[in-house]
Amino acid sequence: MSETAATEQPAASTADDPTVVVEEVSKHYTVGSRVTALDSVSLTLDPGSYTAIMGPSGSGKSTLLNLIGGLDTPSTGDVTVDGKPVSTASEDERAAIRGTDIGFVFQTFNLMPRLTAVENVALPLVFDGWSRSERTERAVDRLQAVGLGDRTDHVPSELSGGQRQRVAIARALAPDPALILADEPTGNVDTDTGATVLDLFDDLHDAGNTILLVTHEPHVAERANRIIHVEDGEIRAIEATGEA
Amino acid sequence: MDGREGFRIAVRSVRAHKLRSALTIVGIVIGIASVITFATFGASVQAEIIGDIGDSNAGNIYVFGTPSDDEGFDRVLQPVFTDADLAAIGEIDGVTAVLPRGSIQVTSIRAANQTLARSQVTATTPESITAGSIVAGRSFTSGEPEVVVNERLATGFSENLTAGSTLTLTYPDGQERPVTVTGVVNGTRGELPVSNFARQPRLYAPIDPFYEAVVESPSAGVRQRAYPQVTVVSDPRRTAETRESIEAYLAGDADARQLSASDTELVARSGSDFVDEISDVIERITRFVTGIGVISLVVGAIGIANVMLVSVTERTREIGIMKAVGARNRDVMSIFVIEAALLGTLGSLLGVPLGLLVGRGAAAYADVTFALAPDWIALAVVVGVVVGIVAGLYPAWRAARIDPIDALRHE
Repeated sequence: MSETAATEQPAASTADDPTVVVEEVSKHYTVGSRVTALDSVSLTLDPGSYTAIMGPSGSGKSTLLNLIGGLDTPSTGDVTVDGKPVSTASEDERAAIRGTDIGFVFQTFNLMPRLTAVENVALPLVFDGWSRSERTERAVDRLQAVGLGDRTDHVPSELSGGQRQRVAIARALAPDPALILADEPTGNVDTDTGATVLDLFDDLHDAGNTILLVTHEPHVAERANRIIHVEDGEIRAIEATGEA
Repeated sequence: MDGREGFRIAVRSVRAHKLRSALTIVGIVIGIASVITFATFGASVQAEIIGDIGDSNAGNIYVFGTPSDDEGFDRVLQPVFTDADLAAIGEIDGVTAVLPRGSIQVTSIRAANQTLARSQVTATTPESITAGSIVAGRSFTSGEPEVVVNERLATGFSENLTAGSTLTLTYPDGQERPVTVTGVVNGTRGELPVSNFARQPRLYAPIDPFYEAVVESPSAGVRQRAYPQVTVVSDPRRTAETRESIEAYLAGDADARQLSASDTELVARSGSDFVDEISDVIERITRFVTGIGVISLVVGAIGIANVMLVSVTERTREIGIMKAVGARNRDVMSIFVIEAALLGTLGSLLGVPLGLLVGRGAAAYADVTFALAPDWIALAVVVGVVVGIVAGLYPAWRAARIDPIDALRHE
């Protein structure tokens, strides 16, 4: 799969189809006794939307993110991302969806410590079979887009927290994903840096990206069009913000 | 992901842990080195013992009697091949020359005032001394008191023997016989293809007048000379069938058959038969000893497996990251297998020269010429790589199965 395949995607889902459909999804764990992390949750994300999931720790918001991101499979219910049934896909298919349709941004950055910024950004493209020169070109372009064009050859330990998070965002953008998933993206940086990271998400939203962000901080969630409040594995409320 | 990318990642990982990687491959290096050492040393010993049969002796067939219970060569020395047998063998198709060989009992050889005991004196025909083997002088002449000596004997006296030197042979009955050295040789045509024989001081004399063993020939009915061993020179392209013809003759009404004890087997062996037999024994020993070397390879493999398991645990989070950005299980697996194979390859690449060095030292110590064993070297490299892969399989499988969510939480 490469760029061409990604742009041909609308054949399966037209521009108006939702980017993410979560239908009646439940997730149970058995840790001694049976724990319900998510209880029959349904939601849809439209293309170009910016949604925040808020909730206290243990509310099930991370579980929901992992299910949408294809890192985990639901006990019951269906998850569709960009027209692709994530919940019923095989392990390899989910890996491919994670690599090409979804861009992850984590609280702890999760960069490869021994790879340079440009190699980190290019990593999803490695597993998608891109050639070295194509990958590097794309990665440099994405690093420039997040303002790190002069840090391409630095390894994470040579970068500040804010710079690391921007490398991680550039990596999420590398395959031109249908959906960007961010899990507490400002949780590990100071307030000022967090603000610039959130500005970057605003820019991405303005450029037409679909974003789903998980946070427990109201000021972060307020950047989104819509806030979904999750508690005890259920959606308590869906709130539209002024910034629609 | 293509293989080159996996290789690049593996190289980076090995370089990031130089000391650990180096210690890991020590096991493989020692394993491969010991296999190579034993194999090349075995090959060296083999080459030394067998020597170079050379083209000139390629068509040789050695005819002798041996006890059928194969207890040794003591009874080989019975003179049973009569002149009549020699003539009959000479008539066989494909035979170009028949070279009888007998030994003459002497107690000592004296040159000027120096006496040498325990030298072998071989009686044979002038045809045994080929032009190619003559280092100096010429062959002896039948009927004359002339001898040729090998280089070992020529240099065995304080003053080197040359063509024209005179020697005195002392027989067991005290009788002495002066002889003239006509040449120095580095071997003879009828020599068994075991070059060790050439390393002993040897003297060759014409059958007439030196060799006196005679028996009553059953076929001719007269007393004739008889020899314990005959070397038949045959057309090298037809050695196999000539050998069969000779064996058929020996099994029939040959004088040698009738003169031999019933438990004596008369055999005709080609040079390659000898080589095969000796090679077989040495190869079996070499294989056994090399097998011991393989044990260190196993230890090396366990070392790689252990380090790879540690490495997988240590890199759990990286594995999680790779999976989150699209790595499939087989991508993760191949990264670790390639890394293990790389360690195995590095180990063999270092082990081969080390093994050759030690093998060379061992050969020098044992005073044999160093010989390479190319097939063993190739095998050792392949084994090193395979050992790496096998050792890496389980850790790689563990890595591939890591759950990305758990891995990303891993500290």
